[in-house]
Amino acid sequence: MVFMRHYEMMVILDPNLDERTVAPTLDTFLNVIRTSGGNVEKVDVWGRRRLSFEIKKQAEGIYAVLDINCETAAVKELDRQLSLQDSVLRTKVLRRESAKK
Amino acid sequence: MTRFTGKKKPNLLKREGVEEVDWKDAALLRKFVSDRGKIRSRRVTGLTPQQQRTTAKAIKNAREMALLPYGGR
Repeated sequence: MVFMRHYEMMVILDPNLDERTVAPTLDTFLNVIRTSGGNVEKVDVWGRRRLSFEIKKQAEGIYAVLDINCETAAVKELDRQLSLQDSVLRTKVLRRESAKK
Repeated sequence: MTRFTGKKKPNLLKREGVEEVDWKDAALLRKFVSDRGKIRSRRVTGLTPQQQRTTAKAIKNAREMALLPYGGR
């Protein structure tokens, strides 16, 4: 089997989007993970939040946190596709080092 | 001189009941940052070297995602 790892991904989306459409849109992107055999543990949409500094001229952003189990190439591809999106202000992928608790 | 007449060290602010800081928890991280946005020194926070390191990392991650300000000066 391929190496599966746990990733944590945070996405900041354009505040002009409708918050209700965020989860479905993210889901379409998450197909990249699913088709490669990974699974998505949790999609947590925080909602609108003030940014502590402007990103792409926006003072606010819609935050979403994804918990993903998949292989390296899959997150990479997901990150690439998301960052190509105009409505995505910023992304961050982290590996939870200490698989504690 | 008054410095070392006092007790051992300030306090382990970690007595928030958390062992490891989460970079997504902006409210908690705020406590380890000055009002200018700078990371508080260990002398102030009273953290162990390991904790201070992970906390600083967490703050830097949070900054990248605009959860905390970059401050400076």
